[in-house]
Amino acid sequence: MRLDKRERSLLGLASILLGFLFIILLKTQGFASSQATTRQETAVPSLIQTEQENQQVSVDNERIRQELAKYAQGQSASTLAKQQLQEAEMNAGLVAVTGPGVQITLDDSKRVDIGQEDPSSFLIHEQYIREIFNALWNGGAEAVAVNGQRVTTNTEVFCGGSYIQINGTRQMPPYVIEAIGDTNNLSAALNFYGWFKLGDLQQQAGITRKLEVLTAVMIPAGRLREYHFAEPVKEGT
Amino acid sequence: MHGWKRSLALPVTMVAIALGFLISLQAQTQKNVSAAEQISADRMSQMKLVLLNSKTQNIKLQEDHRSLTEQLDAARKKVGTDPQLLDQLKQLQILEGTQAVEGPGIQISIDDRNKNVLFPLSTDDIARMINTLKFAGAEVISINDQRIVSTTAVVLSGSSTILVNQVPINRAEGIPYELDAIGDQDTLVDYFSKLEAPGLKKYGLTVSIARKTLRIPSYKGAYTFKQAKPVTP
Repeated sequence: MRLDKRERSLLGLASILLGFLFIILLKTQGFASSQATTRQETAVPSLIQTEQENQQVSVDNERIRQELAKYAQGQSASTLAKQQLQEAEMNAGLVAVTGPGVQITLDDSKRVDIGQEDPSSFLIHEQYIREIFNALWNGGAEAVAVNGQRVTTNTEVFCGGSYIQINGTRQMPPYVIEAIGDTNNLSAALNFYGWFKLGDLQQQAGITRKLEVLTAVMIPAGRLREYHFAEPVKEGT
Repeated sequence: MHGWKRSLALPVTMVAIALGFLISLQAQTQKNVSAAEQISADRMSQMKLVLLNSKTQNIKLQEDHRSLTEQLDAARKKVGTDPQLLDQLKQLQILEGTQAVEGPGIQISIDDRNKNVLFPLSTDDIARMINTLKFAGAEVISINDQRIVSTTAVVLSGSSTILVNQVPINRAEGIPYELDAIGDQDTLVDYFSKLEAPGLKKYGLTVSIARKTLRIPSYKGAYTFKQAKPVTP
């Protein structure tokens, strides 16, 4: 097909216009679908957050109201205070408790390192213990201890080389973690990535990862620490 | 129009049809886009309303909480509870977390929104930082105003929402993460800047540590003991 100059330029112009429109169309289409979602994404988390906080605060308010009602009823002040003290001790983990729960045993590999593999895969690291704690609390654990050390608000699990420092004491493997709570929930909560990774290490490097469901677990009491810096906020200031 | 060849008629017609089709499609999409914008704006304003409602409720509840705590303190004083017993109770409540506290400490601000950040802050990072602060002897710790207590779990919900004490801590604006720790300032700064800060900075996060007098709110969750029974000596 032979075309003269004028025809060719006309056809070219039409093609350029066509291409241009097509691109604009594609752009608008993509823009339309992406735009609607982005702005809402920022609002949703903060909404959930305030809602959750509201719920927590109203629960706490209810607790204080009940306590106030007890005072209003004229219950003996000292018995009330003692009762509260007991409750606080229980919550803070200063009371030894017993109940159904799970027991997890972690131990270093007994296999001799041939020098080919990564030596760190033969050992139990602080991180595994922390991950398991996290999973257990998330699964609704009521009390947790490791090697007889109660896990409280200030419990650290820190690697100090050949040992792991827990509650300021040196702990060596095997690490026996005990937790009281609904045993089904606790076992289910352990199905997380870190737990399966430990399973792989058990097969490959020979470490120990054992889970037992027990009808009675004894968890010792924790200790109250001294506070030198933190002071209760005085109300009304 | 003697210059036009017959053979050209067909392609030119085709081009013209396609052009017309595209122009009409374009107009249609434009209409759709404005409709979508309308819907999204509607949703946005509704969302804002709901958010505003829950925020006003939040303020009211916090106010209630404060006045109730005051009343409780007054009631305790009035009935003449043994001050020593009260003191002991306060100490225990700091440990269990239901008592708001203040004191000297450090505030760590972490920003993971830079362009050169490889991975945003993960739950493992948060758990590790909290552990390091505990190791450094921190007495009371919070992250984004969520008090860290014994039962605190740091978990990921969905792809990017981090839950602490079952509450999302992600912030839409401002500094994404603020860790507060009350304790010996020198020790806390020393431990954190040596053990945690270098690793975070290596991955491009912005970390700043400030010595401050802090006020850390109480733990608002509840402790429940359904299975655990106290051991009677």
